[in-house]
Amino acid sequence: MLYIFMAFIAGWLIVLSMIFNSNLAKKIGIFQSTLINYTVGLFVSGLLALVMNRQIDISLLEFNAIPWWAYLGGLVGVAIVSASNYIIPKIPVIYTTLLVYVGQLTFGLTLDYLSGFPISRNRLIGGTLIIIGLLYNFRIDQINTGEADYNTSIKT
Amino acid sequence: MFKLGAVLTGGLTAIMVTFNGVLAGNLDNFIALIIIHIVGLITVGAIILLKQKKFDFNKDIPFYYFTGGAFGVFLVFFNNITFNAIGVSLTLALGLLGQSVAAIIIDHFGLIGIKASRFDRRKIIGFGIIFAGIVFMIVGS
Repeated sequence: MLYIFMAFIAGWLIVLSMIFNSNLAKKIGIFQSTLINYTVGLFVSGLLALVMNRQIDISLLEFNAIPWWAYLGGLVGVAIVSASNYIIPKIPVIYTTLLVYVGQLTFGLTLDYLSGFPISRNRLIGGTLIIIGLLYNFRIDQINTGEADYNTSIKT
Repeated sequence: MFKLGAVLTGGLTAIMVTFNGVLAGNLDNFIALIIIHIVGLITVGAIILLKQKKFDFNKDIPFYYFTGGAFGVFLVFFNNITFNAIGVSLTLALGLLGQSVAAIIIDHFGLIGIKASRFDRRKIIGFGIIFAGIVFMIVGS
């Protein structure tokens, strides 16, 4: 239950960080704002580490025992920012969340399978229902505003 | 073509959450946050140097625009913890629901500088279906 709540709060954090970052990007440019984003993030991470784990002995951590690709999350994050900046303005906003979620779900289920979560029937039904729900709401948005004017909502 | 690009961007998000989650699960949550941000900083720093981007801070920029990175840290932190407990697809599905609710509330009340647009009650049906989907995914894990 705690994890469910945390993942839900993460959704709020996505929206807030996205609004602030895109506002900043409009002022100073996408890569410049990403640089500031990661600089502030590094500062806050360092502060958190100091406050939360004063006891930790870094020499005891087994940095070599981890697969090398696990270190590349930050790089993938920057790739996502650049790719979204290039792609999202070129497709109707109304499709963005839907298409991005289809990618998240298919890759997510595959990655879960590779890390030991089986792809159960319920998981597939659940993922499909989410896509149907998204489609239903987008249809309403389309009817209300027409594709071209739908710019106020939040992009994924 | 660009639509395929959007799907792949979503795929990259799933890959990123997996990479970060594996790192945090094997090291330490807070050390992982530092590594993730250093790697991101090096990557974007290299792009800026290669493309010779300039910084111009002479425009009046509200202070809170700079706080996105702080929200980002907690986002990565929560994702790492939930990834190791419930996996990547459920983490992302719940994140999507949280995101939709946040977007509705911000849009409806016109918070943090977004133009207010009223919530259409017919969308409750769509959210009901999404919620049912999430329940299926939770039961299925």
